[in-house]
Amino acid sequence: MKTLFTLILTLLLISQVKSQDKFLTKTGFVSFFSHSLVEDIKAENNQGLSIIDTKTGEIVVQLLMRSFMFEKALMQEHFNENYIESDKYPKATFKGKILNFNKNVTEDSILEIEGILFIHGKEKEIKIKIKGEFKKNSNELILSGDFMVEVADFDIKIPTIVVNNIAKIVKVSFEFHHTPYK
Amino acid sequence: MKSMYFKIGIGLFLIILIAAIIGINQYNKPHVDVGDSKVDYVFTPKKLLGEYLQDEMVATKKYANQIVQIEGNSYRISTLKGNSIITFKNKNTESSVICHLQPKENNKILKLKKDQYITVKGICTGYLLDVVIVECVLIDSEI
Repeated sequence: MKTLFTLILTLLLISQVKSQDKFLTKTGFVSFFSHSLVEDIKAENNQGLSIIDTKTGEIVVQLLMRSFMFEKALMQEHFNENYIESDKYPKATFKGKILNFNKNVTEDSILEIEGILFIHGKEKEIKIKIKGEFKKNSNELILSGDFMVEVADFDIKIPTIVVNNIAKIVKVSFEFHHTPYK
Repeated sequence: MKSMYFKIGIGLFLIILIAAIIGINQYNKPHVDVGDSKVDYVFTPKKLLGEYLQDEMVATKKYANQIVQIEGNSYRISTLKGNSIITFKNKNTESSVICHLQPKENNKILKLKKDQYITVKGICTGYLLDVVIVECVLIDSEI
């Protein structure tokens, strides 16, 4: 089932990028931040793939879980091996649509985006407001924003011993600088 | 009797102290030093891409989180937030191998040119539309 899903998604990605209306980045920034009384945990990923169809506003984002870099090696190890199980679920995916999209978005335009977030083999519908800007001089479409993710929604099990170290709700921030697909 | 309790107390204290030291060391253990680590696999960009394009799941299981060495002609040298990226491309596919270098490699990258034969090693994190390798270092003998 998972292989089939990956195959469909890859075909979708490839078919989507074969057009001049598509904008893409392979160096999208995504970070998450967990605040608890015991410790703050932050991880950053600068290898996000995001493809947007500027005609329809449809967007697909994919991330490799192992590309998240933590300050502490032990946190990174626990994240990949115990919590997110990166060997079993190597990617996180968002597939959705910007509802009020047009290519003339200027600085700090607020866009509404809805879609499905796939993490750790689970899916959840999300609807959030993001910032969008199209820079005409550099032909760059920038999308940025943040949203909250509930760890329990994705069946991520946190051992009792560290339950106070990890927030139940984690803040996810992102910034994608899309350029035309050539 | 008193001295026995004292000995047990000292023993318990030492056990707790040792456990605390081990715990702190584990908590603060450093990230893998890619430069000093043994290479798990050596690839040309074509060979590594071939493995991922043939069966992504199998290749991910085999190479994710492994230290891989890539040897080939660079297609593009670019920067992201002040750090360098070397892209290796396979002529037969749209996909490439994207190597994100560590900040300390920035000085060395100035000496490199597009189409130059380069060897880098780093940690493979998987495949999106391209194979992604992070924390890369340049292998000096080739520069």
